[in-house]
Amino acid sequence: MRSWKITPKVLPTLVTLFYTFLWAPAIVLIVLSFSNNKYGIKWEGFTLRWYAHIYNNVGVRNALTSSLFIASVTVVVATIAGTLAAYGLYKYKFRGRKFLRTSILLPITIPYIVTAGALLVFYTQVIHIPLGYPGIIIAHISFSVPLAVFVVLGRMARIDWTLEEASTDLGGDRLTTWRKITLPLLLPAILASAALIFPWSFNDFTITYFVAGLGTTTLPIYVFSQLQYGTSGPVINTIGTIFITLPFITLLLMNFLQKKEVT
Amino acid sequence: MQTFKVMGRATENLREKAKKFLTKQAHLPYVGPISLWIIVFVFAPLGVILYFSLLTIGPYGQIIHTFTLENYLALVKVGFAKVFLRTILFAFGANMVCLLIGYPIAYFIVRHGGRWKTLLVFLVILPSWTCYLIRLFALKTLTDSSGLINSALLSLGLISSPLGILYTPYAVMLGLIYTWIPFMVLPIYAALEGLDPSLLEAAVDLGATPLRRFFTVTLPLTKGGIFAGTILVFIPSLGEWLVPLLLGGAKNMMAGNLVSIYFIKAGNIPAGCSIATALTALVILIIYLCMKLGGEEALERIV
Repeated sequence: MRSWKITPKVLPTLVTLFYTFLWAPAIVLIVLSFSNNKYGIKWEGFTLRWYAHIYNNVGVRNALTSSLFIASVTVVVATIAGTLAAYGLYKYKFRGRKFLRTSILLPITIPYIVTAGALLVFYTQVIHIPLGYPGIIIAHISFSVPLAVFVVLGRMARIDWTLEEASTDLGGDRLTTWRKITLPLLLPAILASAALIFPWSFNDFTITYFVAGLGTTTLPIYVFSQLQYGTSGPVINTIGTIFITLPFITLLLMNFLQKKEVT
Repeated sequence: MQTFKVMGRATENLREKAKKFLTKQAHLPYVGPISLWIIVFVFAPLGVILYFSLLTIGPYGQIIHTFTLENYLALVKVGFAKVFLRTILFAFGANMVCLLIGYPIAYFIVRHGGRWKTLLVFLVILPSWTCYLIRLFALKTLTDSSGLINSALLSLGLISSPLGILYTPYAVMLGLIYTWIPFMVLPIYAALEGLDPSLLEAAVDLGATPLRRFFTVTLPLTKGGIFAGTILVFIPSLGEWLVPLLLGGAKNMMAGNLVSIYFIKAGNIPAGCSIATALTALVILIIYLCMKLGGEEALERIV
């Protein structure tokens, strides 16, 4: 019987260890980004000089601009395509519907390295798309559409479709119904998927690295190139802090949108 | 006159047919673009690696377009087979550890989370929204021989020389677990959350001990979550290349590293394609097994 008594203590200990394991590296990285140590591995007094350094660094700034540009285009195209696909999948019964549903999931179930290699060969040997922005954006869209489709599908299962019927009954044509009824009903899900896709595209390293070619540097690629010199720990710490705080900004944004939805 | 009438009827007929066809194809404007996109940018590239995996390169690195099984025969060679075996071992090990840690964590959040539930779930999700290159760098900083863990242990006098965690198989396992564990916790959490509490009460009423209740009711009913988590952890672990690259070193290379070496460093596209194809075959096998064991639910729970 005694063994049962210790179980309630074992579980909280495990939980504490788990969250420490999950968050300690990130927290240490943030703290070290303010450290004066030139290797960025231990605490040597507070400084903001690494932030000043990346702020004035043209390489970082260009990489950030590229990443933001790619993520923005991806978000716009993927949410539109994903919403349309979700609508089609939800509203219509057609041949190959189940197959399409599974196929949409395919890009996110195949290992990144395989997709990355496949796209590199496809671009360079078959369709001759220039590496760089076009190739990266195409790849990111393929990956982001599943997120949009399934987030929007989830919302579709919960909304009141009689509103759409009412609109048609009252003589609204298809476009008006979409604009006045369907879109506003789906908007929270569309924005939520955008909030998921943006960081996904912004963070992607493996696929971007393969199809970027020589001229295009996104922020993760910049970090990787810095990593290989091995002397730029503080710079990576500061950029890393930006990456770690990004999800919190996304979360606040989603929270804000949700509140707005209620009022 | 007669001809006009016939022609009129024919057009009417045609228009009717066209209309019928259009209503039947009403889904096309919605799913057409995405279908086309998937065919061109998902299926075609996968077909292309299959095709190129059957080719070989000439002495100047040019691709020779004659079919050969050379690349696949090379895969059976000792060196490659060892890397593949290691890949499966690492991925499977990481998956099992994630399951053994992840299940109790999900269980704790559902049963004892209370008003902290949402926060606890978000603390699991949020790391996966950070660039994982950065997360791995952070883990590396922490476990480095001059990093925080070693300095702390040294100053506490628990060890006399720094532990060499980095560049060992353990470091790769640690990296895999650290990267992918959120994706094990979340589907199991969802499955446990959806569990009907009256079933658990029934088990208690019928006199089941907590342990028996867990193994006969809770565990079988959350099978879908477990296999969804397995798909989400096992598969990306199989394709991992950054974790072994950053934490493992050349001795602990995984199949993904071979792909990147052949594609980027060696420029031997056919060889890279054969390894990528073999990896994909492995992935399909695992998805198939997970779906067979975990049912449709395993795939549904992923999204």
